Amino acid sequence: MKINPPKRPLQFLRWFCREDYLDEIEGDLMEVFIKQSESSPRKAKWNFGWSVIKYFRPEFIKSFKQHQPNRYGMYKSYFKISIRQLIKNKTFAAINISVLTLGFSCFLLLALYLHDEMSFDMFHRDADRIYRITQHEQQDNGTLRNISSVAPAIGKELREQFPEVEDMVRLSAFGRVTLGNDPTNRTHERALSADANFFTFFDFPLLEGDAKTALQEPFSIVVSERIKEKYFGTGPALGKQIWSGYRREGQPIYLTVSGVMKNFPKNSHLQIDILFSEATWHSLYNNYSQYVTTEWVDTEYTTYLKIKPQSNITSLSARIETLVKSNYPANREFRSSFTLQPLREIHTNSSQLESAAEQFNANSIKPFYLYTFAALGLVLLITACLNYMNLATAVAIKRTREIGTRKTLGAPKTQMVAQFIIDSMLFTLLSFLLSIALVYLVLPWINIFTNKEISIGALPLEWLMLVTAIILFVGVLAALYPAFIATRVAIVDALKREVKIGGSSLSVRKGLLIIQFAISVMMIASTLVIYQQLNYLRNKDLGFSHENLVVIDVNSRNLRRNFETVKTEFGKPAEVLRVTASTRVPGEWKSFPVATTKSNQNIIGTETIFVGIDRDFLDTYKIKLLAGRTIENPVADSLKIVVTQLAAQQLGLADPIGQMIEIPRVRYGERMEELDTPFRVEIIGVVENFHFESLRSKQMPVIFGALNTSIQVIDYYTLQINTSNWGNTVETLKAINHKLDPDTPLEYTFLDTRFEEMYLADTRRGQIFVVLSVIVVIIASLGLFALVSYSVESRLKEIGVRKVMGASVSSIVGLISKEFLILVIIAGAIGLPVAGYFMQGWLQEFAYHIPFGVLVFAEALIITLLIAFITIGIRTIRAAMLNPVNSLRSE
Amino acid sequence: MKNYQLGEFEEIVLLTVGILNNEAYSVAIKDEIESRLKRTVSMGALHTALIRLEDKGYLKSFSGESTEDRAGRPRRYFEITALGKKAMLYAKETREQLWKAIPKAVLEVSLQKLAVGSHQ
Repeated sequence: MKINPPKRPLQFLRWFCREDYLDEIEGDLMEVFIKQSESSPRKAKWNFGWSVIKYFRPEFIKSFKQHQPNRYGMYKSYFKISIRQLIKNKTFAAINISVLTLGFSCFLLLALYLHDEMSFDMFHRDADRIYRITQHEQQDNGTLRNISSVAPAIGKELREQFPEVEDMVRLSAFGRVTLGNDPTNRTHERALSADANFFTFFDFPLLEGDAKTALQEPFSIVVSERIKEKYFGTGPALGKQIWSGYRREGQPIYLTVSGVMKNFPKNSHLQIDILFSEATWHSLYNNYSQYVTTEWVDTEYTTYLKIKPQSNITSLSARIETLVKSNYPANREFRSSFTLQPLREIHTNSSQLESAAEQFNANSIKPFYLYTFAALGLVLLITACLNYMNLATAVAIKRTREIGTRKTLGAPKTQMVAQFIIDSMLFTLLSFLLSIALVYLVLPWINIFTNKEISIGALPLEWLMLVTAIILFVGVLAALYPAFIATRVAIVDALKREVKIGGSSLSVRKGLLIIQFAISVMMIASTLVIYQQLNYLRNKDLGFSHENLVVIDVNSRNLRRNFETVKTEFGKPAEVLRVTASTRVPGEWKSFPVATTKSNQNIIGTETIFVGIDRDFLDTYKIKLLAGRTIENPVADSLKIVVTQLAAQQLGLADPIGQMIEIPRVRYGERMEELDTPFRVEIIGVVENFHFESLRSKQMPVIFGALNTSIQVIDYYTLQINTSNWGNTVETLKAINHKLDPDTPLEYTFLDTRFEEMYLADTRRGQIFVVLSVIVVIIASLGLFALVSYSVESRLKEIGVRKVMGASVSSIVGLISKEFLILVIIAGAIGLPVAGYFMQGWLQEFAYHIPFGVLVFAEALIITLLIAFITIGIRTIRAAMLNPVNSLRSE
Repeated sequence: MKNYQLGEFEEIVLLTVGILNNEAYSVAIKDEIESRLKRTVSMGALHTALIRLEDKGYLKSFSGESTEDRAGRPRRYFEITALGKKAMLYAKETREQLWKAIPKAVLEVSLQKLAVGSHQ
């Protein structure tokens, strides 16, 4: 009977024991065991186990360090082969790298842009604790008026009464100030005034002056570097005096420069060049202190609060409401609520807010556009990567022989996949570096275009890492698909080179192409819509002419008095064809008075824009008089008005001439004023409708009155000019102005430019869309080109045979093009409805827009098809023209 | 020469290898020591000693025939090298010198004491 030693100890021994001793030790143990087991098997087993344990000592334990072969050479060979492949397939490599570089660059740029938009105002130390009070006032017509400024007393009382309010600062926009020590060279500058703690509340650095005291004294101003250089040159300006347009007891007031601030960073919602001390108003106007402490209704002060950490913001705004309500004048109905808008959100979430001046909410952007840009960045990145996937798969399948050989030599699948990922990493890294270089190159241009200060360096590390990670992650992800497809093939097939592009993998790649072209079609359609709309805006008949008109802004009493004299003076130069004075002009940039107008037929009243004009107004603006006559004499016609058709219609007047209407109250921007005695006027003329504002808003009815009504004073002269030398004309006008009013500089606007500016943001957006769609189309076309190339290459033999059998070049081109063009049409079917949805939304922003039709879709599709056809054609014609001998003989 | 280092167990193993002469392999050495010195020897300890002696150059080994009772594993036979013999002699001589150096009285007294102690 054969006795076996216990299994476990033996296994253990074999596991730990050094191989060169194992035989001997095992032999010894066996010998002893067999000898012992003759007398007592149990003891023998026991002894065997015990002995094994005693052998478990350093001398006999083998080294457990994994002994691995050096794989360094293998990885080196991967790199070598990757680079060789890159050189071998130059076209593919070039397409691949340019596609990835384009995609990465766009993504990087959009990330930079987004970061810049989101970094607004975040440079203040206490940015997270700063809030702006916004007021929401219920209007008569049920709508809410959202205002980013509140009454002056609110801020002051909040700081005194609410312990969680750590600090408060108020800014008020009082308009513009005329500045300049040189009487012949004075300009109007926009200015704000601020409480004395402005520079300790916010972190805007001062180059000169003390942050604590700069805004304490009356008649002291703090100016930006820009303004300092304009008026004082390069030297220090602290303590210097400057002439201002303000007067006290007839004497001009000189302001003292009490500080110079660094130009505000572009990513600040506040853009201030001149700050007056609040104390200035207190010493300039009597009763101002009383006004500031007791006024609860006015919304003139933009108020910022610094809240102590961990305060309840919601309850605070409710308490503000209670506070204001209890102090509201008894004769006014309180219909407001208040919210605290975090500083972080001011830039992106203020589009629905009325603000006191342009210096607040500079460059405010709607979150919608941010999302769109973020989405676009991702779409471009994904498109580029889809393309890469497409191309890499095509190239990878060409490498089947290499894959087969490697597999035969024992390469495990994981290693093959690793090789392909290294391959793709090479492309990704190269493209990433190239795209960084490209971004560096185009950033200055983009900064000019977007009026921003974006730099790669400004991107914080987290963002940089996130962006890099996303790019590399997507890069690797794109590599995985071809890697798995290529390494899945059976060895024998691979070596026989019998692998065709697998049916499923081709359909996947076609699917990817469809997505790209869907995006392209979408972009093309959107661009077309944007441009058609912009064109429409430019060419739409506004109902008046704005060509060759110069508008002179009236800023002083001298120009306002004796307007007939002023008109004659301005009319003297030969190039001035006509001069007219009016209270407002179309394309208005200041707020215009809106009169509530009642007629016998419409006793509730309708809101109309009120403009005071003289006899030349309608001729200068080429507004067509339909019936009756226009205002001729400001005194005789002071109780007469001219209405637009729309106004007549809304007043319910079929035959308006001679009808009396009543104007009980007028709204000036935010302020509603009841007229002391209701203004009763007679309609003497009807003019054709025209658009007073931009085409974003609905056309409003307009009524023209005489100049010297109580509603509004003269604010503009409009000159119709016929000149070839604008520079000269402007100089002439300046001279005339100086003669009329030596204190105030001429302020003029070309009305044409003004109308262009109304749609500036849209024009910019249109340009961005053009650039982006060009990029998307390039990426998609390159992808198509590569896929066609691959398809053609794998069908060279087929093409050869067809040619031998007598097929023509065009039939072969048609054959190959057809299957790809079908893809583009499918893409159109997917992309166009999406584009339609978005563009519909955009067009809704305009009260007047192009009809949204099928035509644009058709155009977009045709353009895309054309691009696709050219792309396909370039590649297929070459293949179809090839001598069939070349493709057929290598059998 | 003072570099002939030899531990007590190592000396015993070396001597036993000498006794067994040509028949010295692990199990035989173990049995020999156990029967002559009446002490148990663990295989592991013995093996360690053998490896050490070989490393020191006192023993050399060669593979023998494989046998059935060792489940087909070959025996490894040990032989004393010339250096091993010198070391053995050196050890023996140093002992003897030490023995000689001990004063006779010391041994007698202690023996007498032993004798007395045992009688009581």
